[in-house]
Amino acid sequence: MKNVGVALLIAVLLAGGVAAAQPKYVVLSDIAWAPFEWVSEKGAYLGFDLDVMRAIAILEGFEIEIRDTPFDSIIPAIIAGRGDIGASGFTITDERALVVSFSEAYWNSNQAVVVRAGSGLDLEKIVSPGRILGAQRGTTGSFWIEDEWVPLGVTLVEYETYPEAILDLLAGRIDAVVQDVDPSKMAVLQYKGQIEIAAIVDTGEQFGFLVAKGDPKGILPKIESGVAELKRTGAWDLLIEAYFGPALGAIEAAWEKCIPILLVERDPLRYAQCLVAELKP
Amino acid sequence: MNLSAWTEIAPHIPVLLRGILVNIELLLGLISLGLGVGVVTALVEVYGPRPLGWAAGAYTWFFRGVPEIVLLFLFYFGLSQFGVPVSAFFAAVLALGLRSSAYQAQIFRGALQSIPHGQMMAARALGLGRVKAIAYVILPQALRLSLAGWSNEFSSVLKDTTLAWGIGVVEVMRQASYIRARNFTLTLPIYITVALMFLVLTYVGNVAIGLAERRLRVPGLEGRR
Repeated sequence: MKNVGVALLIAVLLAGGVAAAQPKYVVLSDIAWAPFEWVSEKGAYLGFDLDVMRAIAILEGFEIEIRDTPFDSIIPAIIAGRGDIGASGFTITDERALVVSFSEAYWNSNQAVVVRAGSGLDLEKIVSPGRILGAQRGTTGSFWIEDEWVPLGVTLVEYETYPEAILDLLAGRIDAVVQDVDPSKMAVLQYKGQIEIAAIVDTGEQFGFLVAKGDPKGILPKIESGVAELKRTGAWDLLIEAYFGPALGAIEAAWEKCIPILLVERDPLRYAQCLVAELKP
Repeated sequence: MNLSAWTEIAPHIPVLLRGILVNIELLLGLISLGLGVGVVTALVEVYGPRPLGWAAGAYTWFFRGVPEIVLLFLFYFGLSQFGVPVSAFFAAVLALGLRSSAYQAQIFRGALQSIPHGQMMAARALGLGRVKAIAYVILPQALRLSLAGWSNEFSSVLKDTTLAWGIGVVEVMRQASYIRARNFTLTLPIYITVALMFLVLTYVGNVAIGLAERRLRVPGLEGRR
């Protein structure tokens, strides 16, 4: 009888433990790429990718820990089991798909060609022999220049980070910088009157979230159903409206005010509505 | 870069200071690990039995020969393959600390070998055992002699701590990139500020080592006043 009681107790504890302990996944992101992910003045991690991850975690019943990781190290870390999800504006490429598994594309991003304001350069003049173009190493911008434009006589200069490329552009050492459209817009906003977007190149680039090859933990279906739910309720479009357009400082203020709705009340839709309402002029 | 950029930097200084605190923690961890392992390695190389001496030599050869960033990756990603999931901070202290121990071992080895052999003979003649002679006679002098070379290693590893971002330790360079990501225009002033912080730290550290050198000096031993 006593043994039965103990067994029952253990069974109850186990069941309780299983119900209470949600799976926890480590999300890796290089958090210095506004507006997809960046660190606010007060040190909070925010951005489109990260809020989408938080919302999906709530909808699908898992916990996440967001860990700032150098972009180049995210895929190696996932392969080594040091993280579960890569959410850092990853372009889906065949090369990467050999070593990790991607979610459905969640974002279409083309490449912007940024030049010094008043330089009078258009795409035709930029892509001509003798021109020097900059891009961040390992990004689609640099691959695009390498594959499409270097054969036409353009020289590619690679930089560790995007802001360094912009600095060299301002210094006059290069003629243009190629980078994803949204961070480019952010740069133009910050260097008002000094740089401008000369052209947008349709590279057909798509972003995906990534997990270990073959998705051994079964995370991708959760991500996909979470994204679908966000889209169905309209929260997805509201998050896009909030993150792509307003100045970073304004987004940070709105985020700080609204984030309890997401993290405490666990309501992604009302959270997204709050963000957009706060950002209305 | 204009003057207004410098006033814009002011509110970010606390963030950078928080970052450099992590570098200082890394430094303290790695340099004490390097000191402990380095002294032992040097002693083994100089006084240990042949095979152990070879092992110590191989150890310093490895840690002096492999680039720091590779060591960081080996410790952070490599250890987890063997089921030891070390944190990024701990992996950085281990990788940079063991690397530093190899360099420090060479500093101490040179100092140990510079103590005239007559001292060992004299100590033994006075009835001290070999181990005691090393511990009480040779090593205290050798450590004093090492300080000048050691200050070099200190200055060098202090700056190496910025490499820890490579495996995700959020130190001062990472804090700088956070600020830069939201204020492109501050790129140069931010890095100049970081440079100044390191200059101050190097200065303070070397002054402290210089003071220690003076305090610990045995008159007549180092051949200068």
